[in-house]
Amino acid sequence: MSDVKPTTKQEIVSGIESDIKPEEFANQEYEAGFVTDIDADTLPPGLNEDVIRHISAKKDEPEWLLNWRLEAFRHWLTMTEPHWAHVQYPPIDFQSISYYSAPKSKEDGPKSLDEVDPKLVETYEKLGIPLREQEMLAGVAVDAVFDSVSVATTFKGKLKEAGVIFCPISEAVREYPELVRQYLGTVVPTGDNFYAALNSAVFTDGSFVYIPKGVRCPMELSTYFRINAMNTGQFERTMIIADEGAYVSYLEGCTAPQRDENQLHAAVVELVAMDDAQIKYSTVQNWYPGDENGVGGIYNFVTKRADCRGDRSKVSWTQVETGSAITWKYPSCVLRGDDSVGEFYSVALTKMRQEADTGTKMIHIGKRTKSTIVSKGIAAGHGNQSYRGLVNIGKGADGARNYTQCDSLLIGDSCGAHTFPYVVVKNQTATMEHEATTSKIGEDQLFYCQSRGISEEDAVNMIVNGFCKDVFNELPMEFAVEANRLMEVSLEGAVG
Amino acid sequence: MSDLTLDFSTLPGDAGVQALRQQAVDTFTRTGLPGRRDEDWKYTDISRITGTLGETWWLPMPTEISVTEISDIEGLDAYRIVFVAGVFQPESSNLPDTIQLKPLSALLTEGADEPSHCLFKLDESAPLFNGFLATNSALASDGLCACIGKNIKLDRPLYVVHVGNNTAHVLNGLMLGQGAEVTLIEHFVGGDSAGAGLSNIATYLRLQDNASLTHYRLQMESAKQFHIGRVEVKQARDSRYTLHAVELGGSLSRTDIVVKLAEAGASCDLNGLFVASGRQHIDHHTRIDHAAPHCTSREQYRTVLDGRAHGVFNGKIVVAEGAVKTDSAQSNGNLLLSKNAEIDTKPELEIYNDDVKCAHGVTVGQLDENQLFYLKSRGLSETEARQLLTFAFADEILTAMDNNAIRRFIEKAAFAKLPNMTDLDGLLG
Repeated sequence: MSDVKPTTKQEIVSGIESDIKPEEFANQEYEAGFVTDIDADTLPPGLNEDVIRHISAKKDEPEWLLNWRLEAFRHWLTMTEPHWAHVQYPPIDFQSISYYSAPKSKEDGPKSLDEVDPKLVETYEKLGIPLREQEMLAGVAVDAVFDSVSVATTFKGKLKEAGVIFCPISEAVREYPELVRQYLGTVVPTGDNFYAALNSAVFTDGSFVYIPKGVRCPMELSTYFRINAMNTGQFERTMIIADEGAYVSYLEGCTAPQRDENQLHAAVVELVAMDDAQIKYSTVQNWYPGDENGVGGIYNFVTKRADCRGDRSKVSWTQVETGSAITWKYPSCVLRGDDSVGEFYSVALTKMRQEADTGTKMIHIGKRTKSTIVSKGIAAGHGNQSYRGLVNIGKGADGARNYTQCDSLLIGDSCGAHTFPYVVVKNQTATMEHEATTSKIGEDQLFYCQSRGISEEDAVNMIVNGFCKDVFNELPMEFAVEANRLMEVSLEGAVG
Repeated sequence: MSDLTLDFSTLPGDAGVQALRQQAVDTFTRTGLPGRRDEDWKYTDISRITGTLGETWWLPMPTEISVTEISDIEGLDAYRIVFVAGVFQPESSNLPDTIQLKPLSALLTEGADEPSHCLFKLDESAPLFNGFLATNSALASDGLCACIGKNIKLDRPLYVVHVGNNTAHVLNGLMLGQGAEVTLIEHFVGGDSAGAGLSNIATYLRLQDNASLTHYRLQMESAKQFHIGRVEVKQARDSRYTLHAVELGGSLSRTDIVVKLAEAGASCDLNGLFVASGRQHIDHHTRIDHAAPHCTSREQYRTVLDGRAHGVFNGKIVVAEGAVKTDSAQSNGNLLLSKNAEIDTKPELEIYNDDVKCAHGVTVGQLDENQLFYLKSRGLSETEARQLLTFAFADEILTAMDNNAIRRFIEKAAFAKLPNMTDLDGLLG
């Protein structure tokens, strides 16, 4: 843990905290709703092999990657969209989406922050991400992804010193092709599922992280995603490889401008942890959820998977999901190595017409593998949310251990909370526990708080924060404060 | 899957029933049998049934049925109703004369009336509806039909024995009038018969206001028999339903239990115990619909699996939008005794309402080392200690049975199945 972090956190949070007054909460609308007017180099809508060739050519990609994309695309054509999730949305026309959009830049791309389009920087500042200041504060290196191309990467030098590679994936393809080729698609194969296949065919950017043997990454790595140009789906591909004994903590935060059309986001995240390696992956997702009537909002169909290949490796997923109209996301761990550990901590909030179907998969293969799942769901308004999880303890997973807890809190009589936990155990020495509860906020708790002079709204916030605490405690400091704030802001208007 | 082409004109029933049979055939032709791609059948592969019984799996085999002496459960004082391969046996039965109770076959030949019509009518939108149920409607010719009048408290349990040594489609219907109280024991036995067939049993239960039904469902088919069951319960205001489902026998056994708490104040309590060994496959899918306010449901399932046994449990609880003050709790405990046993369990909650209290829990594990150590330190051998703990694990379900004769009977039968578990009395001394 870096000692300068609290300052950084302050900086990040201040942007959000400073300009919100309690009285503004009543009509809390999406705060980050604005569109930056940047001239984007965008492909016309539609998807075919030519589009993929174009993307590949734009990115200056080697032949093998183009073939890999085309193979994924051909496989995708044979697949049908999955409908098993407990969500409802109008059918998506995949041919009406533009698959490439890059902010215009100088031919060689920006070399430092000064070269970055000032409007872009302005956008980040509105969001409370002081990109410039971060360089000085030296706490967090931000690989800021604006639409589909990474335009600014900071702290490369410092990371390079430690031997850490942290760069946009397209750059990694150019500079470390062997490394990318070795790992790409090994955790989430091209044909894994409908959206993963689509992503494999058209992914444009994302982060690539490689932590060499025995290195503890000197700072928390962070990427802020932002969807901008109209009608572009964003297809991120993130890979994190932690070699033997390495450690990395990666933060991902998302926010998007307000618009009326649904946008598709189908990202793939692949994590690989070798012997004794540890990866901590934290997400705060706050994309535009649509308005009260469910118009607009992001479709978030994400495939996230970690492969604990090495013995004693550990991967921990923490997520706070408050945004998006539809969320379809199951960060998973394949616990292959003996004594490997998988963790999943999640808070999901759905309000208005939001729907979320989220959870995790813990696949125990190695001996004495352990997994912990803590999922907290909050449904308000007409929101619907589901926990869908799988704990699979295979034949060879002697002494495997799982603990699962999923709780739901309901606010209002039109929301829904659902639990679909799959448990498959094929080994007698395994121990598995699952518990789930669903309830509303206790009237006695509310009454107590109110009798102490706390307003109903604040009381609800307090109770919700208490409910989420187990998960927030797992977040890195920067995010923990932000997450608390986010919950409060998101719950505004949902109570009463 | 082959079509259900058959001639049911020889089956009993008036024109109305025959029309419903035809509808069921049509439904089957459309839906076919469930496959592993169906979410509800993901873990249960019925090709084991069709593979063994062949193309025309729904037809009884032309084997001679030998009925050995059907022994009663020791100490059980009950009205006895016996079916052999789905056919009512009047001479072995002892029917109560205080209530309206008839075998379905008698109803159908007397000219079917309302109750039999509604038994044959299929509701495809019902939860867990599947092709076996359609087959049942198309082919059932016998079963138990009873209407228990208002406020009748039956003095002895109804003990229904199904001797399943061939393929049979049995359709039961039991209606409890307002305030009626009945204990129903369904006992599926195969005895030592070597025949393999399919027992396809559908049981419809209706509870009117304030009625109370205690239902024992004891599945002890012979080793090669297949068992497909469905229990559908609809409960009116303040009615109470208690199920004790015990699964010990059969090669592959799948039972769907669908309870609808349709009116305020209704409550249900489902208790289940699986004890399986060898290559047995046992699957229970339960579904409780909280459709009205102030309803309560409780569900406890325990499974003990040995050998290469495969257990499947799916417990779904759905709370509808208006069903306020719902109180629901579900727990599922699983004990694997061998390294080749497998359990797939999925407790589901679907809640559309904020004024509820719902909880569920699942555990899969082995015997607690500390408990074993404690017992051994008290002078028990390793084997005895394991026996005792396994017994204790399963017995939690059995203690909920208030009929002592059945409880004793099941305790013995269940533990006779497990390795080194024969001397139960000695153990409990």
